[in-house]
Amino acid sequence: MLRFIALRLARSALTIILVVTFAFAVLRLSGDPALAIMSPDAPVEAIAAFRHSWGLDQPLYIQYVRYFLAILHGDLGQSMRDGRPAIDLVMERIPATLALALPALALKIGLGMPAGIYAALHRNSLTDRLVMAGAVAGFTVPSFVLGLLLVLLFAVQLGWLPSGGDESWRSAILPVLTLGLGGAGILARFTRSAMLEVLGQPYIRTASAKGVPWGAVVRGHALPNAAIPTVTVIGFLIGSLMAGSVVVESVFSWPGVGRQLVVAVANRDLAVVQVILLMVASTMVAANLIVDLLYGVLDPRLRNAVAH
Amino acid sequence: MRLPRRTLLAAAAAVPTVAIAQTVTGADTRPVITIAVQKIANSGTLDPLREQSSNASERWLGSIQETLIARNQQGSLERVPGLATAWRRIDDRTVELDLRPGVKFHNGDELTAEDVAFSFGPERMFGPTLPADIPAIAHRHWPALDRVEIVSKTTVRFVNKTPDLTMEGRLSAGGSEITSRRAWQEAGDWQANSQRITGTGPYKLRRFQADNSLILDAHDEYWGGRPPIRALRFLEVPEAASRIAGLLAGEYQFACDIPPDQIGPIESHPGFEVQGGLVLNHRIITFDEHHPALVDPRVRLAMAQAIDGQSIVDALWAGRARVPAGLQWPFYGDMFVPGWTVPKYDPDAAAALVKAAGYKGEPIAYRVRNNYYTAEIPTAEIVAESWKAIGLDVAIEVKENWGQVLDHAGPRGVRDWSNSAVFDDPVSSIVNQHGPDGAQQQDGEWTNAEMNRLSVELETGTDRARRKQAFARMLQICEREDPAYIVLHQNAVFTAKPKALPWRQPPSFFLDFSARNWTA
Repeated sequence: MLRFIALRLARSALTIILVVTFAFAVLRLSGDPALAIMSPDAPVEAIAAFRHSWGLDQPLYIQYVRYFLAILHGDLGQSMRDGRPAIDLVMERIPATLALALPALALKIGLGMPAGIYAALHRNSLTDRLVMAGAVAGFTVPSFVLGLLLVLLFAVQLGWLPSGGDESWRSAILPVLTLGLGGAGILARFTRSAMLEVLGQPYIRTASAKGVPWGAVVRGHALPNAAIPTVTVIGFLIGSLMAGSVVVESVFSWPGVGRQLVVAVANRDLAVVQVILLMVASTMVAANLIVDLLYGVLDPRLRNAVAH
Repeated sequence: MRLPRRTLLAAAAAVPTVAIAQTVTGADTRPVITIAVQKIANSGTLDPLREQSSNASERWLGSIQETLIARNQQGSLERVPGLATAWRRIDDRTVELDLRPGVKFHNGDELTAEDVAFSFGPERMFGPTLPADIPAIAHRHWPALDRVEIVSKTTVRFVNKTPDLTMEGRLSAGGSEITSRRAWQEAGDWQANSQRITGTGPYKLRRFQADNSLILDAHDEYWGGRPPIRALRFLEVPEAASRIAGLLAGEYQFACDIPPDQIGPIESHPGFEVQGGLVLNHRIITFDEHHPALVDPRVRLAMAQAIDGQSIVDALWAGRARVPAGLQWPFYGDMFVPGWTVPKYDPDAAAALVKAAGYKGEPIAYRVRNNYYTAEIPTAEIVAESWKAIGLDVAIEVKENWGQVLDHAGPRGVRDWSNSAVFDDPVSSIVNQHGPDGAQQQDGEWTNAEMNRLSVELETGTDRARRKQAFARMLQICEREDPAYIVLHQNAVFTAKPKALPWRQPPSFFLDFSARNWTA
């Protein structure tokens, strides 16, 4: 098992290095931070001075080597906009993003999984069709559109909830719904499919034929076996917690990492973008790792295969 | 966006009392006002020398920091006493100013001549301890400032190295704000001061969170009268639809940066209005004269004549912008050149010019950004079609940022830009952007020897009649003989609010919430 984990960690480290390198190349080749931060109206000397002070006048490979060596020394760099450490800037925003992402994840799991199970157990019924229609709508409507629709309904028309900002816990309700409903739809679809596949297996028929109560068959045989693909999807959803907040935080003016990423990319504020990408990549890698480990817990065959 | 009248009436009815945002603490019953803006600060700082963006920081900067000579925001932006009550010319290089007595900074200190000298000194503007771009920008604002002399506690002299008739204008412009010497030195370095500025304005900084919010409290010792609002909350709401929804829901009392096509829908609801209008900024298109098709100035002039600016104003600006008299504003006063116009819309004459120039069908790239300027893409589409109609092969290239717009890789043709009157003299606009030290020439897009000679004359000349002649000739060169740019239209800015709020949009980007502009 240790070898398995070590291998996964090594692959994860390689993934993160590739992400960092790719982001560096894309950001530095597609825009000038000096012009983005200072505007083209700034004096040429000011733009040149800005570039020099941040080493942007050096060849790209030197900039990359310096940047990479700094990361290896634990220095994630400073924001070119205000000179503050990028890690500090991002850490300031993490709580706000988690305040949306964690309730949204709970909503995805709490709504999506029961809905998928219920739909599978009532296959082809009216309820099944309604649940699936809702699920498809949930993940096909773009979060930008869904967010604005929720604002128009609950903020403008009904006046029940704030349309944006982070003034109170009520401000989080609409963005959490926007983030959560799409994921719940995806999870409902996957859970239903996994359950239907398992319910069609011979061992389910055998258990029923032996007189095991249907509820016990579902709890004891169907759900554990359907859990593997569902856990995979939950892993993806956890991994995309921060990345998924980009659009929603912009629509609801929520001061989290998602909006920070949009601004940092627009300004080519490399250090801030890289810190966020490192966090997103780390979250995804960690989520995948946990999912892989959970496979072993859920399915003894996988555990034994790894052991051998 | 269509919204039920019932909901909007309810929102409108709720707003006049400003009860939504008002919190009564003790005897202070002044309202708290929330303003939704698209962007608070492009640079993530509050320093006007770093924040080189007229459409973001100009909204709030004047509420915190002030200049010695102010502009009449309730009039035509003419110069009026600010932190100086009077000023006079000593000679062509020297202006002397009397400081307003009893002005208090937000930290309680009284404004003195030492604060003024400090604000234009090495620690604040020109010194080596500052980030390298700050002195460079300061030199743009004050290219020949020699020193600030303290004559007495309440009198200062600005002494230039060269003659300069624009010194009073520069004193009224952004970048010449006065800061408290003690507050600056206590904060420490530039970085700390860039996040927490101290001034003499009607509102003082409580909290700034970059890209999110800027909270200001009333500065009750303000020399211009007790501020009518207890606190101003500027919230950054990037999406126009979200700003409008928040306004109609009563969460924001002001929604800024309203697109022209949303004016009608907002004003169709009782209780709300959209204010605003022309500002000192022109949308322009600039040429790279090195493009093979643009070497001949006749092609550039033809491109100017092919555009029907009034149609753009009518179609995309609901008639609330206008086609100006070239790159100038009546704000220039006696430097305004009467009778000058942009090239007349004449597609037949334009097509003839293109033919006469021997245009061989070379593709011309038109680089634009994705609605960085209001209605930029639809404007570009109209312009590009106009050029195609006179036989030019023009292709729009949408770029993500200025670096890509100005990128030297690939043939550069024409690009979008704007030009502002930073102060009341053409030096602030035509010389600033198109003169020898302006970005267009420095970036290698265009140059003209006579224009450069006239720029020096305009900057250092002291004969007003000759300066005006020089400016008129510059317009002739840049807009007719050897076109450097095309003036499309004067820009306008729009702010939506409940009708009941007693506030008027000044003829600028500034959102003036002083007692002068709040009539209740």
